[in-house]
Formats: sequence, structure tokens, C-alpha cells
Amino acid sequence: MNPLTSQIASIVGTSYVIDDPSGYPAYAVQGRISTLVVAPGSVEELAHVVAAAHAAGVAVIARGGGTMQAWGRPPATDFIIVQTTRLSHVCTYEPDDLTISVEAGTSLQALNTLLDTNNQMLPLDVPLPARSTVGGVLATAMDGPRRLGYGTARDLLIGVQVVEATGRISKAGGMVVKNVSGFDMMKLYTGSLGSLAIIVSANFKLLPRPRAAATIACAFSSSADAFALARAIYESQLTPVAVEYLFGPHPQPLSLSGRGVGGEGCLLAIRAEGLPAAVERHVRDVAAFAERAGATSVSVLRDEAHTAAWAAINDLPQTFSLAEGELLLRLSCLPADLERALADASPLAVRHGLALTVAARALSGIAYLRVRGDDEGALRQFHADLLAHWPQVAILAGSPAIMAEAPIWGANIPNLALMRRIKQEFDPDNRLNPGRYVV
Amino acid sequence: MERTNLVEELRQIVGPRGVVNDPHALMTYDADGCVMDTGVPQVVVLPTSTVQVSGVVQLAARYGLPVVPRGAGTGLTGGATAMFGGIVISTARMDKVREVDIRNGRVLCQPGVINFELSQQLKPYGYQFAPDPSSQKACTVGGNIANNSGGPHCLKYGITASHVYGVEMVLADGTVIWSGDGSPAVSGYDLTGVIAGSEGTIGLVTAAWLKITRLPEAVRVVLALFPDIAGASNAVSQVIASGLLPSALEMMDRLVIKAVNDMYKLGMPDSAGAALLIEVDGVEDGLDELLNDVTAVCWRNGAIDVRPARTLAEQNQVWAARKNAFGAMGRLSPTYYLVDTVVPRTRLPYTMEQVGRISKEYDLPIANVFHAGDGNLHPIILFDRRAKGQNQRALEAATSIMHVSIEQGGVISGEHGIGVEKQDYMTLLFSTDDLAAMAGLHQSFDPKDIFNPGKVFPKGRGCGELAALRKAGVAWIE
Repeated sequence: MNPLTSQIASIVGTSYVIDDPSGYPAYAVQGRISTLVVAPGSVEELAHVVAAAHAAGVAVIARGGGTMQAWGRPPATDFIIVQTTRLSHVCTYEPDDLTISVEAGTSLQALNTLLDTNNQMLPLDVPLPARSTVGGVLATAMDGPRRLGYGTARDLLIGVQVVEATGRISKAGGMVVKNVSGFDMMKLYTGSLGSLAIIVSANFKLLPRPRAAATIACAFSSSADAFALARAIYESQLTPVAVEYLFGPHPQPLSLSGRGVGGEGCLLAIRAEGLPAAVERHVRDVAAFAERAGATSVSVLRDEAHTAAWAAINDLPQTFSLAEGELLLRLSCLPADLERALADASPLAVRHGLALTVAARALSGIAYLRVRGDDEGALRQFHADLLAHWPQVAILAGSPAIMAEAPIWGANIPNLALMRRIKQEFDPDNRLNPGRYVV
Repeated sequence: MERTNLVEELRQIVGPRGVVNDPHALMTYDADGCVMDTGVPQVVVLPTSTVQVSGVVQLAARYGLPVVPRGAGTGLTGGATAMFGGIVISTARMDKVREVDIRNGRVLCQPGVINFELSQQLKPYGYQFAPDPSSQKACTVGGNIANNSGGPHCLKYGITASHVYGVEMVLADGTVIWSGDGSPAVSGYDLTGVIAGSEGTIGLVTAAWLKITRLPEAVRVVLALFPDIAGASNAVSQVIASGLLPSALEMMDRLVIKAVNDMYKLGMPDSAGAALLIEVDGVEDGLDELLNDVTAVCWRNGAIDVRPARTLAEQNQVWAARKNAFGAMGRLSPTYYLVDTVVPRTRLPYTMEQVGRISKEYDLPIANVFHAGDGNLHPIILFDRRAKGQNQRALEAATSIMHVSIEQGGVISGEHGIGVEKQDYMTLLFSTDDLAAMAGLHQSFDPKDIFNPGKVFPKGRGCGELAALRKAGVAWIE
């Protein structure tokens, strides 16, 4: 064992260190093997490990469920993996306060199962919730369809504790939902891809579980018609919590009667939650709007069918398992431009001989595009062509070559100088997730 | 450097009408809503454009003068006060709504737009700007962004940071950046997010894309009176447990009830120890049923009177009493000190008991208005600052309340920010390491401390010094 390895083993215990990760492909990051994998059992152990790595001049990549490690460029240097999943305790949960403090290695599913027992929820609908951890969701700022109704992690996070590049532990925010005590470090760390600090625990504000819920799934023969429905909903007084546009093969729970399994095409799935009478109002009005917009069929899903539909939809943007010749792109634009962006993407895919599946937050300006084809050149060209018109396209997952070479974080990213200064303040030696994010 | 040169150069940038340097006029800028801490600026400028702001900031840097951004000056912590002199940049002449973009749910504003007026302008479109601080008829959106302002409706709709899509900001070297425009997922760090709540210490926001919120189809309000705060607090818990987040949950105690009762002729009985204002909104369907449920919860928890306000006129009357509660304090005493702190909701009843104890201990009446839904309390210490020793007692009472709040798991500011007033409380909440991280963020933007120096961080602990602590090697050495 080299000195760093033995030092780390003495901090966490040898059974929590893998000193030869080559036999564990799950821990590879963009095809690169780490020098070791360590699973600390507490915040203090994690901090101590990071300090040891820093002193030894070794980079650190934090890993939760590994569901989004496909994101980003390959690591720029050798690195160790700090596996966070042993940090899975609930630190504080007083249901009447509608707040919770959890360690970052807790999975979203475990968290929501706990909240469910008190009729509460944290509506962060990320892919693969059984594996995705709180820390990973925050580091990536991955969103979910219910961002429309409830916001994203950025809006629900009220406090955070991190381990910095040197192993220092620091915190910000608190356990209260209104707080202007000092700078909002929560906003800095959210979405920073572990490049400024490692999130070790997080405090969230919670919501009561709604009394009723339903899905109205509307099939269309064209995206124009589907977006006409989305617009009608937007202009009305309705308050759906999610409006998802899907294109491509429908997830099994959404295969509509009359189309059978493997239905495909354009679908708008609307999620309504709240008082029972309010949900029924949404069901009635959306169905009426859908008909006026030319829907070819409308289905109302409740209870298990409703839950299954959204579990499937939420998983669509997953980057944990990528097929051969597949890219997962995230396109971001002004909400009213989304229809046009997708109208550009669709024929572009056809032109390059690629299969395209879309999962889009129709009223929020975000779309996840899964493109697939045998010709890597075609994939790269598709991305380049799309990027030329829509500068905020990110490649979240792709082949190692593409992730290393393409402009995966978009074109003309603004404020790079300022972001470099921030990185320089927080991680001057570039030890945290080096080379993976924009700076 | 010659002051007359400074004034002349400033006139070149903002025009002669844009410079205030008459000593009497400057004194009107020596404080914001926090009258305890004053500082007279060397000069005040009122630019009309981003280019002018950038010019002034560059000039300030050349002269080695601090820059203090100022909106309406309604802040309660000295955030807009020139504690170290320098140039106050007022946004009063940058008060235009530039573009209303309904299709994209956003509006482009200059920082001097008044919060309430923005919502009034959006009303004909069926929209509002959701953050609604009590000072909204005077405060500016620039100030709201700087302070990450709250308001009663933030319980359901979130605080200001959740309603800012992107800002144009002038940095310490005069560079102008845009942090976002309304597209949701910009690659890179969330600059918009850290700018909100930074209290004018890292730049001056010269324009903002703000999120606009659809006005709800229907609103229902209940005013319930309880013999004491405990019963009202229990009602609050049960309302939330019923599965709906109200759009507002406000509480007033006996003293406040008395003051607003007199002013607004609400006819509330003297036996009321607490008044609870519950608002729910959404589509019409189900709201009346919900209103009945809420009413029932109140009766079950010992309410002595429950008044559903169904019509707009009734609702406005009830809300006026709440929104103007601070203004009504003049009926009770010549001066008041408004404390802003937050505790977890379940600690409210105990904290209120302690506030009562502190009131007796310092022999000063304390009235209470608070955002019961999110635990943000506003003890109002009533005194007469002309009377000997009362100023001091009021300050000490406030400090005691802050200590109780922190003991109960709270924080030192719910909405008003830190500014000058609370800077020395920061160490009650944050360790040196915590402060050093914040200082690091500050240093990335404004390493020379041009903007609003001496605010937020504890007195005598400069950002540079704090940030440097983090560079002192690793946390553990074997």
C-alpha cells in the first residue's frame, strides 16, 4: 500500500478502501480508473480523507449513486473516488417544521419513503431515485418535471454543509425556510458538479403531500398540436405541477389504449395535484383543451397508473446506462422558444440518420434529447449543427471521445473569467473533480 | 484627491442633475431604515443608465472611494448607509420597466422599479411579482434582489432569489456582466443565485429579468382570533398537515391587535391574544371546501372568533391591517425597534413565551407580528428614545431575543439581511471557516472591497483577511 492509501485506510478502516479499483468498472469515471476508492462513514472521516489527499497532491472525485458520473469531461489528472453512500443518516427531521436535514449519501427514494410516512414530500423527480443521492442531485442540479409546480433543488435547499478542497468543513444557511444570514452559498454549490466543494449534508424545505393527483396524457400527431395544448394551459388559470412533452417511443405505462404497447409519437403528459376538486377541474379543462388542440386520444391516469407513468417519465433523462452510439443532450432556452428548438432538432436528426427521443419540460424551456446512431461522425455533426442555433446545448452523456473533444457545456459560455476566479478561490490547486466542468 | 475634481468628473458622467453634493442634502442620505447606524456619503449620484453606473464605479476605483448602492433606503439594517463615506449610487432614476414578456413569464426591470408598482403594471395582464415585502409600496426590486426579500406570500411562492432569472451587474472594475436571461439551465456556476442576497457588496445590479407569477383564479382569507399564541400555533400546524400549503399565514399578538383594531376599526375583541390570518389560493374548485376545513381547524383549537373573508373588499381590509401593522405602532409608542429573526415553526410558541419574559425583564412592551407559516418573527420593541436609558434597554432586549432564537435552532435574519445591524451576530451562527468561505466568494467578485465595505461580515474582520485563512494549508495534518 502506498502512504496515502495506508493513511486513508487508517482513517476509515481497511474494509472501506478499495486499493485496486481496476476490478470494479462501476467506479470508473469516463472510462478512467481511480487510484483508489474510499467510503468514509461520517462527515469527519470524509473531511479527513480529503485533507489527506490534498496534502498528498491527489485529486478527489465525489461519487454518490454514480448515476450522473457520465456528465462532464474526463478527469484531467489521476484521482481517488470518495464514495458518499455511507453518509445516509437523517440528521434532523421535525415533521411539523416542514424541514429536514440529511446526509448527502441518502438516496432520493429513501428520503421520500421517510417523508411519505408523515404525508410530506420533496418533489425532486430525478432519474433513478433508488440510486441517485441528495449530494449528486445538488451537485448536478438535475431537475424533474415538477419543477414547474415546485421549483428545483435550487429553490428547495435551505442549508448545506460541505467539505472544502483542503478538508475544511464549512456550512451555510440553516434549518429555516426564510434566511438571509450571509451569502447564499447553497446557490454556489448547487450545480457546481463537485468542483468547488463536496456536499456532505443538506437541509431542505418540504411540502405537504397533496390530497389528490391525476395525470392527463394526450397524444398528438404533430408537435405543433401538442404545443398548442401546452400554450392553452399556460394561458389559462390552471396550475398543473408538470407539463411534459414526449416524443419517440412512449414509456410503457403511458402506452395509450387503442395504440397498444409501443405507441409512439407526440405526447403531452400533464400532472395535476392538490385538492380533489381542483384536480378534477384540471382533468376536465385539460381534456377539453386537448380535444380543441386536435388530440388523437386522451387518457386520465390515477393511483398506481399515475405513479408508474411519472416514475417512467422521470427516468427518461437518465445517464446511468447509455447504449452504443447514444448521446444524451440537454437543451435550455426561453420557454416560448422550446417548440421551435425541437422543431429544429427533429428534422436534423432525420437528416443525419439518427433516432431521436425527447423528454421536455414544455413550459420551462428544458428538453432532454436522446440521439442514437451507428455513425459517430453523424452524432458529432448533429450536435454541432444544433449548437450553432441553440447555444445552450450540453452533452450530458456520450462516448469517451465525444465527451473529451466536443464543446459539451455549450457554446460561448458567459462569465468564464469570473467563474475562474471563483474556482481559484475555492480550489486553487484544482483538486476537486478536475477538468470536468466549465472551469 | 480634490473633492471638486471628483464632483466635476461625476457631473461629466451622470450630468449635472445627477450629482448631489450639497452638505444638507447629503445628510438625508446618512441612513436607511436603520436609524441607529449613520454615515454621510461624500457625494450621491443618480445615474440613468448602466453605462453611467459603470463610469461611476470606475471613477470610484480610481479615487479609492467605496461605492454604496441605494434603492429606496427602506432597508432596516444599514445596508444602504455609507458607513465609510464614499459615493452613494442611487437607483432612483433607473426606475423603468423595460419589457413585459408574458410568453416567457418574465419582465425586464431597472433596479429602481418599485415592487408594488411592478405588480400593478403586471395586473392587467393577469400577473404579479410574487415577493411582497411589507415595504413594497416604497422598496425597489434592486433592493429586493440585494436582500433576497421575503413577504407574506413567500410561504407558497418562495423568496426573491426564486424569482430572479438573471441580472445585469456592474462589477468592481466597471465590467458589465449578464448572469442569465430566463433560460433555465445555463452551464456554469449560479451567479444569479449568489448575487441575490449579497446586499450590494459584490456589484450593482443595473437590470434584472424577473419571474412573473400568474394571479390566482381565486383567493380565500380567514381571520381567526385566539385567546393565546399557543392555540393559534397549533391551528397553523394542523392547517399545513391537512395537505395544502396556504399562500400566507400571518400572526399578530395582543398589542398589535389593539393598534390595528383602533386604526382600521376591525372590531376585534379585547380578549384576543392572537390573530391568525390564513390565505389560500388556486383554482376556484375546492377552495370553499378548504375554507370550511380551515375554519373548522381554528374552532377546534380554541378560536374565539373566526371570520372568513370571501369578498375582495373584506380581504383587502384584513390584509391592510396586517400590512400596515408597523405603521400602526405609532399608536402604542413614539419609537420602535423591529427585530427580524427566524425559528423553526415548532419553536414559535416557546420563543414567544421567552419574548414575553424578555419584555418584562427589560420593562419594555414588545408587540409581535410574524410570518407564522415560516417561523419568521418580528418582535417590535416599543420605547421612547427620548427617555433616558431606553435606547440601550431596547438594544439589549433585541440581543436577548436573538440569543433565544439561535438557541432554538433559528438564524439571525429572516428577511432584512445583515448589513450593519447584525454583522456582529454572524459569529453566533457561523464559524470562522464558514465566514471564510463566504469571504472567498466575495473576494472572487470584489477583491478590493469597493462595494459597500464593512457590511455583512463582522466588524474588523475584512474579507481579504478571512479569505486568506482558507489558503493556510489543509485542515488536518498527520
